[in-house]
Amino acid sequence: MAVDKEFIKGIYAENPVFRLMLGLCPTLAVSTSVNNAFGMGASVIFVLACSNLVISIVRKIVPSKIRIPIFIIIIATFVTLVDLVLAGFLPDLHKSLGLFIPLIVVNCIILGRAEAFASKNGIFLSMADGLGMGIGFTLALVIISTFREILGNGTWLGMPVLGSTFQPVLLMILPPGAFLMIGFLIGFFNWLEHRKSVST
Amino acid sequence: MKDIFRFAITLTVVALSAAGSLVWINSITKPKIRLQQENVLTEALAYVLGGSEKGVIEPVQENGEIVYYKGFRDKDKTALIGYAFLVPCQGYSSTIQTLVAIDSSGAILAVKILSQQETPGLGTRCEEILSGESDPWWQRQFVGQNGSEVAVDKDGGPIRAITGATITSRAVTNGIASRTRYLLEKIRCTSDEQRTLQNDIIGGSHGR
Repeated sequence: MAVDKEFIKGIYAENPVFRLMLGLCPTLAVSTSVNNAFGMGASVIFVLACSNLVISIVRKIVPSKIRIPIFIIIIATFVTLVDLVLAGFLPDLHKSLGLFIPLIVVNCIILGRAEAFASKNGIFLSMADGLGMGIGFTLALVIISTFREILGNGTWLGMPVLGSTFQPVLLMILPPGAFLMIGFLIGFFNWLEHRKSVST
Repeated sequence: MKDIFRFAITLTVVALSAAGSLVWINSITKPKIRLQQENVLTEALAYVLGGSEKGVIEPVQENGEIVYYKGFRDKDKTALIGYAFLVPCQGYSSTIQTLVAIDSSGAILAVKILSQQETPGLGTRCEEILSGESDPWWQRQFVGQNGSEVAVDKDGGPIRAITGATITSRAVTNGIASRTRYLLEKIRCTSDEQRTLQNDIIGGSHGR
């Protein structure tokens, strides 16, 4: 019962990008195309679920005053491990995800969830939280990159969608386009929430 | 005071076990990763020196380091296809490794980018393959160009720079041009020596 609640909340009500404002830095960097969004999303889902699990297991033996450096070591170890294993055994997947894996270490969603959730909750709840947050992050990336790729490049997942007469708005692919798009989308979700609270 | 020791010991234990597990994983994956990289280079060499599947690709060394590769159409090393060499160049956010093949006149046979970590969506488009095509459009532009004189369109050359990634495009293009000039001189020097020795083996390459 509680497990599915923790899973669901990350997707909309506590979406890491649109509601918690976490992980905006990688969001700016990789939301240029839908393909990148899926790649980054998949890597984050995996690392987030695993690090939440490990941190939840060790939460009672870690002294609270030095918990942050210990969490960082655990996360960085996990990311390096994933990087090496992918490079050694799944080179094709590593070639497409390789770029995003080092970026995950600095993704504040991972440390944020470790600190705010996994260090206080049990194994199953932490796993559910990690998976839900990861999926919420992926969805946010896909929404932002859909707008940016279509407007800035005229394609979606590499397929042309707007015809050859369409003149791409280059700004949308460049970093300012990410700020604009995230701003508009956060505004839109805030407006939705506001309307909901006014009507009830 | 007691806490400080406890914290130091806990942190040391955590750091040591993290390091230990990474050493273990690294010892397993390192030979595999090296093998993958060698495979990538072998495949790329066969790709840029098209037609060398039945022939030989021979590394040419200088002071113990491989400077370039010679590709032959046959096992007897009589029909030369061309020369292949690595061009490392500093892009926008990474070192871009490119493998280039030229024929003996200096015209580019093929270009293949082996590794790069440029900005996703901008510089990484140098490896973009459009739907319905089999090779990256940006690298295809180099085929048939004079290797020592390639330049991007913004510098008056024939290579269309990637939109929003002129730095990446320019780095690779200028890298190829300067490396080709350098090696072509070297190759011509050594082939002149060989010509006097064993009667013009380079002539076979013009059949392509």
